[in-house]
Amino acid sequence: MNRPQLGRLVALALALVVAMGVIVVRLAILQVSRAGAFQAIAFDQRVHPIELAPWRGQIVDRTREPLAMSVHATDIYADPRYVEDAWTTSQRLAEALGEDVDVEELVDDLTADTSFVFVARQAENAVAERIDAMGLPGIGFLDVSARSYPAGPLAPHVLGFVDIDGNGISGLEYQYDSLLAGTPGERIIELDPSRLHRIAGGVDRERPPVPGSDLVTTIDRDFQYQVQAGLEEYVERNRARGGTVVVMDRRTGDVLAMATYPWFDPNDPAAAKEGEWRNRAITDVFEPGSTNKVITAACALEEDVIDLEERLSVPWKMDVGPFTIHDSHPHPVQPMTIGDILAQSSNIGAVQVAERLGPTRMSRCLSRFGLGHQTGIAFPGEDEGIVPPLWQWTDSSLPTMAYGQGIAVTPLQMISVFSTIANDGVWVQPRLVRGTIDPGGTFHRAADAIRRRVVSVETARTVTSMLALAVDEGTGSGASIAGYQVAGKTGTARIPRPQGGYYTGRSIASFIGFLPAGDPDVVIAAILDRPTTVYGGIAAAPLFQTIARYAIERLGIAPAEEVVYPPTVRTVR
Amino acid sequence: MVLALVALNTLIAQSSFRIDDLNARIDTLARRNLQLTSEHAKMSAPGRIADWARRNGMRLPDDIRFLHAHDEPAGSPAGVADPDGAR
Repeated sequence: MNRPQLGRLVALALALVVAMGVIVVRLAILQVSRAGAFQAIAFDQRVHPIELAPWRGQIVDRTREPLAMSVHATDIYADPRYVEDAWTTSQRLAEALGEDVDVEELVDDLTADTSFVFVARQAENAVAERIDAMGLPGIGFLDVSARSYPAGPLAPHVLGFVDIDGNGISGLEYQYDSLLAGTPGERIIELDPSRLHRIAGGVDRERPPVPGSDLVTTIDRDFQYQVQAGLEEYVERNRARGGTVVVMDRRTGDVLAMATYPWFDPNDPAAAKEGEWRNRAITDVFEPGSTNKVITAACALEEDVIDLEERLSVPWKMDVGPFTIHDSHPHPVQPMTIGDILAQSSNIGAVQVAERLGPTRMSRCLSRFGLGHQTGIAFPGEDEGIVPPLWQWTDSSLPTMAYGQGIAVTPLQMISVFSTIANDGVWVQPRLVRGTIDPGGTFHRAADAIRRRVVSVETARTVTSMLALAVDEGTGSGASIAGYQVAGKTGTARIPRPQGGYYTGRSIASFIGFLPAGDPDVVIAAILDRPTTVYGGIAAAPLFQTIARYAIERLGIAPAEEVVYPPTVRTVR
Repeated sequence: MVLALVALNTLIAQSSFRIDDLNARIDTLARRNLQLTSEHAKMSAPGRIADWARRNGMRLPDDIRFLHAHDEPAGSPAGVADPDGAR
């Protein structure tokens, strides 16, 4: 037997030593010098961060009843790579999802060259469970939240709505989006290679999401419903294009109800027609018509340009530059006090009073009452109205503004004017939000509404007595309520044409007032857009009366001591 | 030593599964609570109640009257309206 040569054995041993050395060096590189990097790669393969969506806060009414809330829903998705029979799968999905699903479109989605496609967003959990039970390959589910408005089309213009991803895009949902949305959290979790199962004992760290705060509105849910029901009834009864009602607490500026007809269901905002999303009480303007005579009268009294007992000779029409202004009905030249002018809603009388004020004081007064300025309610899209600056006034500006034409206001601005009179001359900023409730359940009251004195207590109370007379003996009799003294003013405003001038036979009919006149609790603006009955006293005053009756019942408003009427031609000698 | 480590690891794994089960139960109950809250909000919505009332022949009163105590003059305030107290 030949023994191997020693040299070959040594060579083999050396080769083995070198090979082992290489392995050791490589091991040292992997396990020591680059260990950190490889550990990180392995960690990344097993450990996955998952964003935890925060729960969006509720919007509740002033009694904490939910108006908008988030509920659990399911996004259903498909991974087309694992779908076995796209046509059968699509048919079965369509059956479960409902009639709106286009099967052929679904087949296209399920055969697309991608790894992820949505089948349905925010499906009801029951639907998702039915589909899950089918065991369709390639179909998956994601837990999500969906926004729900449990009362349906209740105050939709105030609440607004969210998009499919839960971002507020209109109304309070948009205005307070960052507060309602909350802060996302994160879960870091170690999964097996299938990425479906957690590794027991593995990494599982969670930074929980912070839910959004709840928003407490000033709206009274049940009263809002009554207001909407009343508004709908009177829009139909007067065959109007639409209408707006705002109800406000004169002391706090709280808006108790705010409705615009037609409305929409925020659960399905896409079904609304163009323009129906607009909160016309805040975003749209109209020429106020005779309701603006309240400002004319208040300023005349405040500036002491007319005595309560003074009798003016009022014709039924007068020429102003190239235009002829007239009262609503022909009458001979008749004596009228300022109380008569407001109660009988005389345009010519208002012009005579305004001429004593002059443009400068009239312009300043309109501004003091908030016309031409946003109210500060900060609602998205709030309009500031249109009041031309003094240097743009023409010869016809002062006379027409005296009875509310040639300027434009939002319903919210105009109810604030009447609220100022009801509130002894103090303007209170209207508000829709009383406060917030943080995730810990603590209520944070909103800052008190801004206040400013506009006219004296005496002026406000005198104008109140004129408005009470307007309801008792004047154009606003349709708003009277047995047992209560109501103060208010009718308005019948013509609608301007875009190219200049006014439409014939089209008007905005309004009645704005408050009750009880002696100690007002609520201020109500009732406005109808193009009613066939034309006049504020006929179309809008009964709507005001209906809403006021609801308010009496709902808010527990008791009668107050009656105010004494101002001097009229019948009482002045 | 090895047996002890295996036993310890098993206990940890068992606890982990138990925690997962409890978390799942909390999640289920929270979902149920939210679902009931949502249903309650829908059921108590004024529109639904008004529809039900109409179907059952109810209607709003034609007139609203306030009664005053014997020794108070008619027309005197019976109280201050309180929107927060409205129910």
